[in-house]
Amino acid sequence: MKALVVDDSRAVRTILTRMLEAAGFEVAQAEHGRHALEVLARVGPPAIALLDWNMPEMNGYELLCAIRANGEYADTRVMMVTTENEMEQIGRALEAGADEYLMKPFDQEAMRDKLVLLGFEVPS
Amino acid sequence: MDDDIVKEVLVESHENLDQLDRDFVALEADPTARGQIAGIFRTIHTIKGTSGFLGFSGLESLTHVAENLLSQLREGTRLLDADIVTALLQTVDAVREMLASIEATGTDGQRDDSALIARLARLQGKGDDHAAHKQASHRPAPAVPAPAPAPAAAHVASPAPMPKSKELAPPEVTATAVSDTSVRVDVGLLDRLMNLVGELVLARNQILQFGSTVKDGAFHGTSQRLNLLTTELQEGVMKTRMQPIGNVWSKFPRVVRDLAVTCGKQVRIEMEGEDTELDRTIIEAIKDPLTHAVRNSIDHGIERPEVRVAAGKPAQGRLFLRAFHEGGQVNIEISDDGGGIDPIKVRDRAVARGLVPADRAQRMSERELVSLVFLPGFSTAEKVTNVSGRGVGMDVVKTNIERIGGTVELTSRHGFGTSLRVKIPLTLAIIPALVVTTRSERYAIPQVNLLELVRIEPKAAARAVESIHGVPVFRLRGNLLPLVYLGAALELGGPGTAPDGSLCIVVLSADDRTFGLVVDGVHDTEEIVVKPLGKELKGLTAFAGATIMGDGKVALILDVLGIAQRANVVSSSKDRKREGADTDLAPGTEDKQALLLVRVGADMRMAIPLAMVARLEELPRRGVERAGRHQVVQYREQLLPLVDVATVVGASAAVQGDADAPLQVVVHARNGRRVGLVVEQIVDIVEDFVRIERPFAQRGIVGATVVEGRVTNLLDVEGVIDACDPSLSAA
Repeated sequence: MKALVVDDSRAVRTILTRMLEAAGFEVAQAEHGRHALEVLARVGPPAIALLDWNMPEMNGYELLCAIRANGEYADTRVMMVTTENEMEQIGRALEAGADEYLMKPFDQEAMRDKLVLLGFEVPS
Repeated sequence: MDDDIVKEVLVESHENLDQLDRDFVALEADPTARGQIAGIFRTIHTIKGTSGFLGFSGLESLTHVAENLLSQLREGTRLLDADIVTALLQTVDAVREMLASIEATGTDGQRDDSALIARLARLQGKGDDHAAHKQASHRPAPAVPAPAPAPAAAHVASPAPMPKSKELAPPEVTATAVSDTSVRVDVGLLDRLMNLVGELVLARNQILQFGSTVKDGAFHGTSQRLNLLTTELQEGVMKTRMQPIGNVWSKFPRVVRDLAVTCGKQVRIEMEGEDTELDRTIIEAIKDPLTHAVRNSIDHGIERPEVRVAAGKPAQGRLFLRAFHEGGQVNIEISDDGGGIDPIKVRDRAVARGLVPADRAQRMSERELVSLVFLPGFSTAEKVTNVSGRGVGMDVVKTNIERIGGTVELTSRHGFGTSLRVKIPLTLAIIPALVVTTRSERYAIPQVNLLELVRIEPKAAARAVESIHGVPVFRLRGNLLPLVYLGAALELGGPGTAPDGSLCIVVLSADDRTFGLVVDGVHDTEEIVVKPLGKELKGLTAFAGATIMGDGKVALILDVLGIAQRANVVSSSKDRKREGADTDLAPGTEDKQALLLVRVGADMRMAIPLAMVARLEELPRRGVERAGRHQVVQYREQLLPLVDVATVVGASAAVQGDADAPLQVVVHARNGRRVGLVVEQIVDIVEDFVRIERPFAQRGIVGATVVEGRVTNLLDVEGVIDACDPSLSAA
């Protein structure tokens, strides 16, 4: 299963990648929204995409809208990675087609819970 | 959480903090730049986001409250002012300290940042009601620091075992990281790679050398291939060690800002060529000298706004950093449009500190005066500020740069600014060098010290060196070049000549001096791998290191400066170089001086500073003609005016000797004009301290001094010329 991690922080990308790999995903990374679209064009639709909210070039919300506007990614589950400051924006994201959200900081267990919630089978 | 992730978080946070320093300074210059604010907000947000994973509540609450303040700035509900910038910069510093503490000890250091947090909160609160209201509707508790992260978070990050050792994480390669094309590598690993490549270069050289002794086409083909691959590998590995100079410069905007505020000055910093790359060992070595030079520019160079305005300049000073590659070296310039260096002030200071005797200072050219700031113990600041006055000066800058084979040049126009130009080699590990032999041993001479090579044919070799009482001098294009015999300098013993009897002189520069190193033979120039000497040999001043030659034998790398010092070479080249400058080595100097001893008239022993001697000539008496009131002689297609020293100083006439004996003439050159001083006999060149025992009122004589145990009159060269014919004197 493929996953896409989009975050402008290298550290956060590494953390998310480790956790997803532990959950059995094959992970591609991107630094911001526009970069993510390039990566997606190359690797094809992932099973899940984790999007940071606040990024340069193209933010997570804009990326979400772009993904949802493209029928090719209809089966891709999108999870917004936010901080508590962005709480009020989560509603907006869910309206725009996000499937779940994950609040920083999080641990492997929180990640696992969210993945299960989205219907993925995660080895414990 | 994994150790390497913790490290990753720390490394990235440090990078982000450096970025913040730059952004804040840029923002202060243009407070309306919304894009800038958005960038800062995002960076703080990222720091907060990632530091949350470390699970330290102090860090989290501080970044949280800072983020809130920034979000107001971003939305435009609050305008940026100096207070806010200062508070945010303090936040950056506090975060940096916490991260350092986490890195070192695994805790955030039990800091109390409540004052700073309260201040940040107050800055958010003092806005207009609308903003406050908006803020309140946005977030439930804006002014109060957020509580520590939820227990879940604490669980994630909790006792993250912190790295105690300095060793960095192994290269982080995320197998499926499609987007990540770069990899972080431990610098220790890079150093080991460089070392191995150095060894490979040596092995390659040995194989090439061996290749020249065998006749095997296949072997030659293979060794050529090895040769090319090794060169490419060497270049590749050297490239991995290259870092842009921007890594050092990135700290400067903050340094400049803080310093300018402290000094009550306004300074804008501009940079060009930040991506100019240098070996990381050199980056490390130049960090402090450059920082010091930047501090100097602000502290001593750029004037206070009111002074600038009065001088018709913009209130804001400009500090300009520029870096570029040129001739295999990196040039770095630090220039400002400040007041420049006041040569008079420098002179007075140098005299007051006893660095230069007053009468000598009086005769120095502006440029020579400016270069006095490089003397140890010099400082031009009128008052000791907390910025400078730390006991380090430009001499430290110069020493540090020269230590890595670089040079420093200072130019200044009083009233218009100062420019410091630093030239440094790209790398220290592999350097081009000239290989020479003496007593069938090979030595390598770093190319940076090399000026030119002179070879004298066997026929001419015997007469080329004027060896007067053990001070051998070679006349190189009209200049006196002191010679050092390498064999003698290294105390190798035995006669040292080239097999064919020719004379090989390697003209070298060291510490602004020029001298000739006489060797038995000159080989090729080669890229050599510098190996430090073992600690038992570290104390030897004559050698800078060792290298392994193509045949596997070790050759020592000569420390040119060390050899010059050992051989006690003092050359006048320093003064000669600056044509047109005042070249007086004036009397009264306490330094050891090189002196030319001459006999004037029948029995007067006189000394002339060697620095004032351009050449020694024997000219035929028959060639002397009269032109007007002067005696002149044809010399190098010009008429050389002659001054008879004996007549001017009133020495008793010499016994009239052989009318065919040539005239002994000391040629003195000044401002492009030459004057010949006629003496009876050239006696010797010595080096001695010159102390004027009895100042004379006599024309043409500065006074009497004791040279080598005998009373000797010191010739006043200008005075003699002046007395003979004022129109000849250079003034």
